[in-house]
Amino acid sequence: MLGIIEALINGLLMGSIYGLTAVGLTLIFGVMKVINFAHGSILMVGMFAAYWFVILTGWNPYLAIPVVVPFLYLFGYYMQSFIIKPIFEAEKDVREPITVIIVTTGIWYVLDNLALMIFGAEFRVAKTSVTGQIFEFYEMYFLVPKVIGAGITIVCAIYLYWFLKHSKTGKAIRATSLDREAASLMGVKQSKIYNIAFGLGSACCGMAACVLVPFYYVYPTVGVPFDIKAFIIVVLGGLGSIPGAILGGIIIGIIENVGAQFMAATWTELLLYGVFLFVLLVKPSGLFGLKQDF
Amino acid sequence: MHKLLNQKPVVLVMTALLLLGLFLLPILVTSPTLMQIFILVILYAYFTSTWNFVGGFAGVLPLGHSAFVGIGAYTSTVLLQTYGLSPWFGMLAGGLLAALVGVIIGLPTLKLRGAYFALATIAVGEGIRVLVENVKEIGPFKINGPSGISIGLSENSFTALQFDTKAPYYYIILIMLILVLLLTYFMMNSKIGYYLAAGGEEPEAAEALGIKVSRYKVIAMAISCFLTALGGTFYAQLILYFYPKSILGLDMSYEIAFIALIGGRGTILGPILGALLLRPVSELTRIYIGDMLPGLHLVIFGLILIIVMRYYPKGLVEPVTHILNKYVIRRFSKTDDLKTNSAADKAD
Repeated sequence: MLGIIEALINGLLMGSIYGLTAVGLTLIFGVMKVINFAHGSILMVGMFAAYWFVILTGWNPYLAIPVVVPFLYLFGYYMQSFIIKPIFEAEKDVREPITVIIVTTGIWYVLDNLALMIFGAEFRVAKTSVTGQIFEFYEMYFLVPKVIGAGITIVCAIYLYWFLKHSKTGKAIRATSLDREAASLMGVKQSKIYNIAFGLGSACCGMAACVLVPFYYVYPTVGVPFDIKAFIIVVLGGLGSIPGAILGGIIIGIIENVGAQFMAATWTELLLYGVFLFVLLVKPSGLFGLKQDF
Repeated sequence: MHKLLNQKPVVLVMTALLLLGLFLLPILVTSPTLMQIFILVILYAYFTSTWNFVGGFAGVLPLGHSAFVGIGAYTSTVLLQTYGLSPWFGMLAGGLLAALVGVIIGLPTLKLRGAYFALATIAVGEGIRVLVENVKEIGPFKINGPSGISIGLSENSFTALQFDTKAPYYYIILIMLILVLLLTYFMMNSKIGYYLAAGGEEPEAAEALGIKVSRYKVIAMAISCFLTALGGTFYAQLILYFYPKSILGLDMSYEIAFIALIGGRGTILGPILGALLLRPVSELTRIYIGDMLPGLHLVIFGLILIIVMRYYPKGLVEPVTHILNKYVIRRFSKTDDLKTNSAADKAD
């Protein structure tokens, strides 16, 4: 019984980190109606950045956050304005810009394989001051970096939600995702909002990367499993919904961890795909999806 | 059929010369390595053309087609190894199974936004890979999990679909490709083709005209999956050893989609153009610089894809046909054709 509670809590912790990457994905989708296939690769870039920060300075890994998160914000911002924007402009009247989806796939390939060429295929571990530390609670054991990571993640998600609800930029982002034309008639500058949304989405990956590095392997294709989980999560939570992404992330984390108590880890992966197809069949709009978005 | 032959004489002559050249190629080329590259180019053009039925004409983005390649390969191989059934029957069985799986995925997802379909195909493709990696045997069929299957050598014959030279493989896949291209042509000029074209651009408008868009998309999906699986059986017989990561992975799905997109989706020539450009890049970089810089060919793929989408969103087929029209077809056509040509150009 204790084992299941332990797995449940571990799933909750890991799931909230999955949720943060999914928040980035869902934010970009909400605004641009584009699934960013390069999302996992952006996470990979963030993890390598955080890894080298820790290795080169030897500081506490969480000190990487003020460096890596702004770096990834700018990375996403300029990737959108230089590579994606010209293609998006050509297709902006289309309900669903497929060419842009394709280009993000191209970016995924370029980034992942550049990392492979530069850093090689080996799995790296950053030995930090919190790595491997264990926290005991009523005879249940949890990794300290996982607990800290989940805490930071939840704070970030709440801040982001508040930012979108109350700040001026946040309101402009929400207006654009509801109705592009009406928003631009109200004086919201579209291309800027797209850049910001892409930047924020990437910054979410940066935050997730910083909290992952102390306890997770870093390798060139590390983004792929996170990417595929993020796809499942956003569909489960409803494409475009931030609370949906967090809740979806937690559900996926719990399924993965509790499932591992009863079956081999490789089978839990299959379970996730099963959940995904089940949601598509039964309720394609997900938990919190907007009707207009599917 | 008469519509197919009703082209300008220069186009007919060029096509005939090209076909003649393709059929004579194995006589001129003796190096097995080079023949293998030609076979793979044609095989990928074949996969991409079958992908085109759903990715090109139905206006959605399937990103899990390696699942159907794998279904074709595994089905024919386990039938061969368990019952000694000829791969040609196995090919048919694999095709039918793949069509069934395609319909099961397509029915719920082709009604939704394209993004859902793209995500669902990835999930199903990866799901099938994980399933195959975890299972040693299904009933009497041994599929050996992650270590894969190798097909034992048997006598060289057409029924066994095994030959000790490359030429027979070359002719088989060439004929398969030509048949699929003919099928593509007839479909483009059929009712289904028109319905799909209408539904791909404006699903709501097409629905309003009473076209059941999603039904035709599901039909296109079934045809596409069936034909892809036939190619999968051929691939298995060509390489004789395969494992889940090699034949069911995301990499293969993406390569098929990339070739189609770079060449030009929804066109007959696009897949061929894409395969001609990308396959040699991939083979040559793998052979010559693969050890020093792993992943280089995928970086090149990605860059080509981004650049082509930036400047020719409809694929390379657009500038190529433009050049052909301008410099070859017009020059060799009669002068009175010129007027109709330029009028047609304006109409475009």
